[in-house]
Amino acid sequence: MRELRIHGRGGQGSVTAAELIACAAFEGGVFSQAFPAFGVERRGAPVQAFVRFSDRKIRLRSQVYEPDYIIVQDSTLIRDVDVFNGIKPGGIAIINTEKTVRDFHVPEDVTVYTIDATTIALEELGLPITNTTLMGAFAAATGEIKLESLENALRNRFSGSMAEKNARAAERAYKQVGGAA
Amino acid sequence: MALRVGCAAPPGKALENKTGTWRVFKPVFDPETCNRCGICAQFCPEGCIRETDEGIFEPDLDYCKGCGICEEVCPKESIRMEKEEK
Repeated sequence: MRELRIHGRGGQGSVTAAELIACAAFEGGVFSQAFPAFGVERRGAPVQAFVRFSDRKIRLRSQVYEPDYIIVQDSTLIRDVDVFNGIKPGGIAIINTEKTVRDFHVPEDVTVYTIDATTIALEELGLPITNTTLMGAFAAATGEIKLESLENALRNRFSGSMAEKNARAAERAYKQVGGAA
Repeated sequence: MALRVGCAAPPGKALENKTGTWRVFKPVFDPETCNRCGICAQFCPEGCIRETDEGIFEPDLDYCKGCGICEEVCPKESIRMEKEEK
């Protein structure tokens, strides 16, 4: 079983991202589970969302304390929240930032991919909502979900031009991270 | 800011909760074209725009969430929202 923890702020779509990643993984033929945990339910407040992937049925219902993967939607959260808490050795972290890996205090044996998802989201969607962009980065960095499944999940969730814009944002991130990997 | 269940918050506690990191865009004020009307300060939902001793208006970026209302209401269009590096 592999586990993902998404750190974001209320309004950035962490919960939606978790659901869509779980849908895309399920389409890829594994069992999956997604759910969020809030502190204060308020725009801008730190939010966590969790996803589990497994080849067998998932009985576990607890929050994710030792993730294999983490996604950080907003690098300023790193100051307030211990985003790397419990990450497994060999884990993968995806951070939305314009900075480089060296600017963050990363535990040993964790691979970090940085991507400027805010700029991609602004260009593709016109909004600084980075969830779908980071899903593309996640797909490329971990290979846990296919880009095609991701785009199907997006088209099931959104309609018309919104689905296409989000799919484009995800694809751009996928290529950018895939090229760097 | 972390409060335990059943704990009362003393006055001024919200000041500890700096909300400036929520921002994607920050307001940039142009004192050249500003006519000191103060409408931005009245509309700011965070109440973080202050008049300085020199009579110009400035946002407190420790608390500004970058909502952009000040840019919207400014009659002189002297406030611009700029993307901030994160």
